[in-house]
Amino acid sequence: MEQALQDICGEKRATTDPFELAPYAKDVAYVPAILVNLLTDSVPKAVVQPISAEEISRLIKWAKQAKLPVTVRGGGSTAYFNSVPMKSGLVIDTNRLQGFSDIELSPENNKTVWVKAGMTWKDLDDGLRQQGCAVCSCPSSAPSATIGGWVSMGGLGIGSVPYGSVHDQVMAIRGVTASGDIVELAQPVKGDAQQSAEALTLQFNDLMGTEGTRGIIVEVKLLVRDVPEQEAHLLAAFNTATDTGAMMSWLGGEHFTALYNVHFSSPEFIATLQQAACALEIPPGKYSLEIDLEGKRDDVEQAVANIEKQVELLRGTLLQDGVGAEEWADRFKSLRLEQTLPSLLAAEMTLPVSKFAAFYEKLRQLGQKTDTLCITYAHLVTPETALVMVLYPSDELNLIRYIVDLSFTSNLYKLGQSLGGKPYVIGFWNTPYLGKIYDKAERERRLQRKQAVDPQAMLNPGKGYNPPNIILNSYVFGFGMIMIGLFRPLVLKILKGGKGR
Amino acid sequence: MKTIEQIREEIARTSYICGTCGSCRSVCPVYREIGWESSAPRAKIALAKEVFLKKKENKATEQYAQRLQECTLCGKCAEICAAGIKTRELWLNLREDLKARGMEHPNLTQMALQIKTSHNISTFPNEDRLDWAEDLDDVEVEVSKAGSEVAYFVGCVSSFYPMSVGISESIVSLLDRADVNYTVLGSEEWCCGFPLIASGNSQQVLELAQHNVEKVRALGVKTLITGCASCYHTWTHEYPTILGEDLGFEVLHATQYMARLIRTKQLVPGNLEETVTYHDPCDLGRNSGIYDEPREILQAIEGLSFVEMPHRREMADCCGGGGNLAAVDKDLSQAIAVKRVQEAVGTGATILTSACQQCIQTLQMAARQEKLPLEVLDVTELLWRSLEE
Repeated sequence: MEQALQDICGEKRATTDPFELAPYAKDVAYVPAILVNLLTDSVPKAVVQPISAEEISRLIKWAKQAKLPVTVRGGGSTAYFNSVPMKSGLVIDTNRLQGFSDIELSPENNKTVWVKAGMTWKDLDDGLRQQGCAVCSCPSSAPSATIGGWVSMGGLGIGSVPYGSVHDQVMAIRGVTASGDIVELAQPVKGDAQQSAEALTLQFNDLMGTEGTRGIIVEVKLLVRDVPEQEAHLLAAFNTATDTGAMMSWLGGEHFTALYNVHFSSPEFIATLQQAACALEIPPGKYSLEIDLEGKRDDVEQAVANIEKQVELLRGTLLQDGVGAEEWADRFKSLRLEQTLPSLLAAEMTLPVSKFAAFYEKLRQLGQKTDTLCITYAHLVTPETALVMVLYPSDELNLIRYIVDLSFTSNLYKLGQSLGGKPYVIGFWNTPYLGKIYDKAERERRLQRKQAVDPQAMLNPGKGYNPPNIILNSYVFGFGMIMIGLFRPLVLKILKGGKGR
Repeated sequence: MKTIEQIREEIARTSYICGTCGSCRSVCPVYREIGWESSAPRAKIALAKEVFLKKKENKATEQYAQRLQECTLCGKCAEICAAGIKTRELWLNLREDLKARGMEHPNLTQMALQIKTSHNISTFPNEDRLDWAEDLDDVEVEVSKAGSEVAYFVGCVSSFYPMSVGISESIVSLLDRADVNYTVLGSEEWCCGFPLIASGNSQQVLELAQHNVEKVRALGVKTLITGCASCYHTWTHEYPTILGEDLGFEVLHATQYMARLIRTKQLVPGNLEETVTYHDPCDLGRNSGIYDEPREILQAIEGLSFVEMPHRREMADCCGGGGNLAAVDKDLSQAIAVKRVQEAVGTGATILTSACQQCIQTLQMAARQEKLPLEVLDVTELLWRSLEE
């Protein structure tokens, strides 16, 4: 096998060495081996690092002949096994697909670049800034997340309020289909009829947010922007979740041209950071909103003036100059809280902003009831929607504690769902929640597309569609989580609570 | 000094913090060359977690040891770490553990033995430390001169390696031109111990630190200057910790001292019509926080057009020569250096400067290998050239 793959990719870009394969069976989240081995065959048989669409095409054709599933991996920076194989097979590591083209100016005066899938968002942004441009939006994991990876996921993050999902910024894609054909697909013109679910060929939307299950992204033509003329980074502190939620709703509703990003930190999040000697300027016990403004000087100054008034109206305080800028500089460093709580579990969901304060209040009650420290942060990702991350401490060194703690994630999703929230990504571990994310018609349409473009289910099997086995069936899983959850209070009591070490 | 048990406890604690987010990957010069996940800092930490936190000793394989030693200790992973881990300390601790396990790379064992025997990293006897000064026509370098204000700690590389003696020659010429009352230690200068710290042999450094500090104290100087970024880091960051006391004199890098001389007009730079860029040495920049003075010197040279590289200051890329990498994998070290000189050429500069003898040596070799139209010089060499011309 190694020889065949090396014939395609060259000696140094294909491996079957078990030492090299092992890291590809993991992503960001720790999952106990007992669960991983029960539900998956996560260690690939081989990993390759192609440098072109042609090589990927040959690899797909080879894998098809060898009847091996193919999983594409970019930064491996998600937490749901999105890019970890479920059925072993071949992993295509995209990290040798690096670089971007010259900036092109369209007749409509839009600036675009062709960027290769393996480049990280931060590297692209750094490169563009040397030429006076910048990415429109980026994930909060920009130093590790790749272009192809984020386009394959939900695509919401920093800068999504003014620029929308990254899917809206992709003008065209070069990719490889499940049969190994190289294709170039342009973004459908708005207003055109939706793609037919029966179309047998790969469509543009088949590659948006579908986690590498329908085709492989090699290069994308991405809308970029000029480096903004002016930036302002404000940090507002509020006394209550209600006032903070009201401020978030107001910010979304005002449609400021200059509003770029809004980041919420709960008092628990701030306290945990402060225990690690970070974010010390933020007053303890407060709810904070980092409000980032970018654009033309006048627009930014006007927005700042309006925001100052609204913060005051909602009994908040704007912290001194420089605090916001410091938090902005650390925007990719939310994991600093692991210095205080090194083994965190999490649930990430989208939630209507109008329900944010109610969610936070119910979360506080749930935390009290279950003796769980819930640490929350969130981004405004559309004027009406927040992307909310709730973290809670566990201990991966204690298997029983960790497994009972996993059940708490389903409580969080249930709480979110009761207020119109949805899990953000699916991957493998969130397949039990598919019914909560999509209605029946959408699930059927998605499945139809998968069957049309990848009939042999060769690309990233086990993700994104039906739960891959009976244990992840929503009813079985839901029942299992309830049962495990019943033991959680007892285990936490024995281990002296869920508030971390 | 920490015991091996304390070191292992620290490794376990630190490895638990890592969230394996992978921010460290794309900035790691080694990962960028090797490409496999196992070479990324997060994968190394994940293995350390298995070995030290979960006590899976069978994970401490030869491949694990090789990956841990394939690191330039550049510290860029610490700069970007989303969890704020002080990764450089972690890598050093892991190397101490490798040494204790007997898994140290044989070239590093040999180097440690060499330093123990001759008190320098070369194969020459330490008595030859001042051979470079014999080529100087106009400057007399005095050894252990009583009443000197400044002691110049030359460092092993620019004492013994012909490619680098231009740095020591330039520094003493500049000191002489500025009428600074200085001296050197000659054969009483011993290796600062940095290569030992970087290879997990820190136990061996105490003797070197005690000797060097004692000799400098005996001179009664106010200031010690080093031309080497790693010597500077060792004197300022390691010695006070190892000895548990203040040194009792000021320690400056040569670029800091020269910038001071320029500010006080004791030294007036000359003229050079060249386009020049600057490579931040990891041990001077990221690991010691000195970014401005080398740039201040370059910008003080009349006619010089200074251009920055895209990766600079805190986010500067490594030259590939750090962390004893060349002793473990010379080709890997060279491949990293090639990327850096290519970046320098991309700026339009014809001269690439730095402030570290190891960086200069590594980058010079890469520029020659690639046949690039790029001269690689120490900042002090360029400053001296401006005065000579």
